[in-house]
Amino acid sequence: MSIQGRYFDATSAQAHEASLETMGGPWRLSGPGRELLFDPSQVKISDRLGNIPRRIRFEDGSEFETPDNDAIDALLRERGQVRGTMVHALERRWGIALAALAGVALVTFAFIKYGVPALAGWTARHVPASVDQRIGAQTLDILDNGFMRPSKLSLQQQSRVDNLFRRMTADLQDGHDYRLEFRTGAIGTNAFALPSGIIVISDDMVKLAHNDEELMAVLAHEIGHVRGRHALRQIIQAAGVSAMALVLLGDVSTISSLVAAGPALLQARNSRELEAEADEFSRQWLDANGIARSHFDDIMCRLESQMHSDELPSFLSSHPATSERARCVSESEAPAAAEPQEN
Amino acid sequence: MSEATETVAAAPATRELPIEFRATGGEYFRIWIVNLLLSIITLGIYSAWAKVRRLRYFYGNTSLDGASFEYHGRPIAILKGRIIVVGSYLVYVTAARLWPSIWLQLLLLPVVIFGVPWVVVRARRFQMRMTSWRGLRFNFHGRYGGAMGAFVGWTVLAGLTLFILYPMALWKQVTFLATNTAYGSERFKFHTTVGRFYEFCLIALGISFGAGLILALLLGIVGVAALFSGALPAPGSPPAPPDPAAVLGLMAIVMPFYLAFFLLVNAYYRASFLNASIGGVSVGPHRISSRLKFGPLLGIFFTNLLGIVFTLGLFYPWAKVRMLRYQLANTSLIATGDLGQFVADQEAGPGAVGEEAADFFDIDFGL
Repeated sequence: MSIQGRYFDATSAQAHEASLETMGGPWRLSGPGRELLFDPSQVKISDRLGNIPRRIRFEDGSEFETPDNDAIDALLRERGQVRGTMVHALERRWGIALAALAGVALVTFAFIKYGVPALAGWTARHVPASVDQRIGAQTLDILDNGFMRPSKLSLQQQSRVDNLFRRMTADLQDGHDYRLEFRTGAIGTNAFALPSGIIVISDDMVKLAHNDEELMAVLAHEIGHVRGRHALRQIIQAAGVSAMALVLLGDVSTISSLVAAGPALLQARNSRELEAEADEFSRQWLDANGIARSHFDDIMCRLESQMHSDELPSFLSSHPATSERARCVSESEAPAAAEPQEN
Repeated sequence: MSEATETVAAAPATRELPIEFRATGGEYFRIWIVNLLLSIITLGIYSAWAKVRRLRYFYGNTSLDGASFEYHGRPIAILKGRIIVVGSYLVYVTAARLWPSIWLQLLLLPVVIFGVPWVVVRARRFQMRMTSWRGLRFNFHGRYGGAMGAFVGWTVLAGLTLFILYPMALWKQVTFLATNTAYGSERFKFHTTVGRFYEFCLIALGISFGAGLILALLLGIVGVAALFSGALPAPGSPPAPPDPAAVLGLMAIVMPFYLAFFLLVNAYYRASFLNASIGGVSVGPHRISSRLKFGPLLGIFFTNLLGIVFTLGLFYPWAKVRMLRYQLANTSLIATGDLGQFVADQEAGPGAVGEEAADFFDIDFGL
């Protein structure tokens, strides 16, 4: 076989037009005015990659460069060296590329859906309580400086709700340092749990509740978040998903930082599962304390109808759709709400 | 054989040699996705092999005067570098968790100060030694002391002078990297004056400042509009927190502008930086010309961003190829005389920088 290419002698950048004969015995490299012989057992042939030129490196560091990929592939087959073309065999075909794409998508999806939450859950359980407390206190500070104002509820009102909360958490004995904080401001009608057992409830949320049972349903939901260490898990999950995006998109420099924000959307789905977990805790707590589950549904539905104006599509929402989490009943059908609900 | 190809000219002719780039997005997509999957299922270990394939693909598809570049890096060297970097990061994070104290961060400072020059020299040397063209390797002769001055000393000075000396520091760093690089036995020379670095840094600053001003004006207009529509409380009325919906709306209007300005400044800075640094290099009698324009570069940045966002990242291989194609199409070599006259570094010898010399410290830190 004769392969056309160029020879570089490793001492200068001079290019020498040459052809390589690989028929039996030593390989013969011939060009105008020169002929060289090489021992075929001592040459290194570069792996196939797209259509980049192939290089045959000889013992003395000199090399032969040729664009004739097919001839080199035939030569490798002749020598029984298939290793150098294996990855190329995969990279060559669109069908395999699309299968690889499906594989990457599947692994990515599985990792976000199961891997990241599991890792975050494990990490959250092993993070010392002192770290938890520091994050909780810092978050409260940030919220207080930017979004929240001190509560305008009367002290009697505050201490009544606080007593309710203390009774609820007194016998939990789960190692969390529960504390209820009253706030108002840009948080709207809301209640949320921070790491280390700090639960913030807004004035509007207290006012939204028609009775203590409803208030307890909301508080039990937040206690469910604390017990599952959901706040910490979400922080860890967000970091995990962003890190994965960076791994997948390697070195896009400017763009990667922007794309890394994208998985935050996928993150919303995980947080819906955490909400469902907290809902379940609230319902079980109500059951255990002989309070009808309907109280939970009532306040959730009222909350939903109040926020109806700024509805987001379900996949973007961080909370499950109310139809998924509570059975809402219009006011005219009110008597039905009193019936015990089993689901 | 060499006598036949050497043309003896009375006066060396000057001609412009373009850099040809033959990579295509579709081909690179297939290479990228297959190697990505292999990297994932080997828990990241294969990523070192994937990096070698990526670089070989781009180097091999880049050619000058009919000969392509070649990347010689070995995956094991890259894997070692990655293990060291990830390992030290994990050690630091674990230490920070176990002993959360300010002393740990203070301890990190000397590690960074003394480590950065070492990593810069190592990474650059690996990168250059693993690159060849026409059978001759590139090399990097930079020393630890020089890197310390350029990358730590001048950075500290730039910080102390409120960044007035920043372009100077940048120029020192580029000069250090360029003049210590060699092709065969021929050292690179660097001709760009520090004045040009000041020029483009000041213009970039001006663009940022102007963009900031427009952004502030815009925020003002949107704010006033919000005030009249009642979304925000009027001044003088008791301070109430703004409506979250109004804040979100405000951000939705301002964010695209912020993004556009960010890309604009980036495109200008990148084009001018490459023109000033790569375009200032000469090798022997030949010099490199770099004429990137920030308008087309901005267009590529913008369409690449859109493509990547709307395909959830799948456009990445095409984005990468488009970016490189534009950059290389506007880079060329103004050659005077024969390019074959470069010779191997006699001191190092052809073998010394080859695969045989790969020692334990042959580590790639260019992640």
